[in-house]
Amino acid sequence: MMTTTMARRFESQGMVASDRSRLSERLLLIGGFILVAIFAFFPIYWMLITSVTPVDQVFNFPPRLVPSTITLEFYGDFFNNPALLRYLFNSVVVAGTTAITSVVISVYAGYSFSKFRYTGRKALMFLILSAQMFPQTLLLITLYLMFARLGLLNSYWALILSFTSFTLPLCVWMLKGYFDTLPDELIEAAKVDGASQFTIIHRILLPIARPALISTFLFAFIRGWNDFIYALTLGGSEYMTLPPGLVLTYMGEFQTSWPNLMASSLIVSVPVMVLYIFLQRYIVAGLSSGAVKG
Amino acid sequence: MNESIRMDALPQLTGESPPVRGKRLSDSQIGFLLVLPALILLLVIIIYPLLNSMWMAFLDKSLVFPGEEFVGLKNIERAFRRDFFSLLSTTLVFTIGATLLPFFIGFGVALILNGQLIGRGIWRGMFLLPWLVPSVVVSFLWMWIFNANYGVINGLLRDLGVITENINFLGTRSSAIFAVIIAKTWNTFPWIAVMVLAALQTIPRDLYEAAAIDGADRLRSFWNVTVPQLRGVISTVLLLSFIWNFQHLETIYVMTGGGPGASTTTFAVGVYKAAFQSRDLGEAGAIGILWMALLSVVVIVYLRFAVRDEA
Repeated sequence: MMTTTMARRFESQGMVASDRSRLSERLLLIGGFILVAIFAFFPIYWMLITSVTPVDQVFNFPPRLVPSTITLEFYGDFFNNPALLRYLFNSVVVAGTTAITSVVISVYAGYSFSKFRYTGRKALMFLILSAQMFPQTLLLITLYLMFARLGLLNSYWALILSFTSFTLPLCVWMLKGYFDTLPDELIEAAKVDGASQFTIIHRILLPIARPALISTFLFAFIRGWNDFIYALTLGGSEYMTLPPGLVLTYMGEFQTSWPNLMASSLIVSVPVMVLYIFLQRYIVAGLSSGAVKG
Repeated sequence: MNESIRMDALPQLTGESPPVRGKRLSDSQIGFLLVLPALILLLVIIIYPLLNSMWMAFLDKSLVFPGEEFVGLKNIERAFRRDFFSLLSTTLVFTIGATLLPFFIGFGVALILNGQLIGRGIWRGMFLLPWLVPSVVVSFLWMWIFNANYGVINGLLRDLGVITENINFLGTRSSAIFAVIIAKTWNTFPWIAVMVLAALQTIPRDLYEAAAIDGADRLRSFWNVTVPQLRGVISTVLLLSFIWNFQHLETIYVMTGGGPGASTTTFAVGVYKAAFQSRDLGEAGAIGILWMALLSVVVIVYLRFAVRDEA
């Protein structure tokens, strides 16, 4: 029996036919890899190239893959445009406040879901999980009416509250997942020592949880930073964030200034990319908890 | 000595009213209190708005003018008569395209990154890039690539002699939806690749060794070992992308605004335009309630699946 398995193994590795199939498999793999790499990276290359190509070359057909001269004027345009700087400032304020608020509220909810047992807990958890599965567009209609009635339309409040509707479920779910990884003994031991729940949370859990809090904050920040439709509809031209701000500034009725748009697009994207470098090791955990959208 | 100090310090340390003054909260009460702020916020900014927006389906109401009138099923009937089926088919084309295309590409990338590859760690980070780009930027970028006058795809096709006249990809009824699907695919496939790759790395090596001993070649061991082991992540990824694409608005709205004609008007675009351009909340609510009904079916399937995973 031993010999037959050995023989079979030998067969499958040593034969010429399988060598050839190995080779064609490799070629297929390399070909596929090249195609996918072009699809993934060419658009980013093109964004970068367009953002440094002088106008007379951009509006020249057929386009050249490498411009003969380059310019940084479109980046200068961004930082010399007071409206865009205002949108940038709004983006930081709104995404930052939203993320802080969501994390603070979610710490308690996440801890409760993870370490307490009470009736209705499961139902509440799934209410929160399902809350992020339903369409933003539909919420937006009532949020608009609510903010209009309260006189909050076109204010930071409208943006922060509406953004919280998608960051809150994300944060609760991520932090619950984190607290699940902490051993119950930690809390039990503190209780035996006579610590109150208040002390347990603020003196024991929060210091340990700092990395999880930071990564949750950053995920929430990015989601707020990237939002377009709430900011477009509820912010008004004064409190609008960068994504809708760019549409308003550069997408003219007749002619769009593509190099300006590409330069500003990179300016919006780079902070997110940098943040993700710090977040790399949390990404998979965030993904599998269903918290991070694809 | 040590002990006495601790006994003295105890009441301040615990920071709670001593048992003499009243009953301590039970653990489950504390648990509920901790959730309360999140719950209230959830009710005010998610649950109530969702239900209220659906309630609009039964009203004759404008976004800007005051006053409303209960009209029963009139709006829903009108939605069925007018654009429900066109919205449904466009939404399905977008959803299925933007779910399956990134799935196959993402799966392929995961398999490649899981194999022997020079600079694997760097590639893995690089392939995330398209996913990190904000969705508005994704739209801008692909609008520029597909641009009818100066776009790089038109340039390439002209250079290769495939076409003699530029194609207006986003301005043509038949091609606009595909352009949007490709843009969304570019944005989504890294997410699928990350999910699948993470699952691939948990498959025990000895399963492959056992399959090899049984004489399975690479293709057979892919079908008999890899695919069954990935069943969980494949269903998760497909269900979640379906749910998200079914309600996706931003890429479509920025790239085409639902046009040309109604050729890229999905439920999301339809509801948005009814509410914020026609300002007809009855129409928006009617489309919205039908949309929610369809979406709920998929969400329930997903939640069942997620619950089973939790247990």
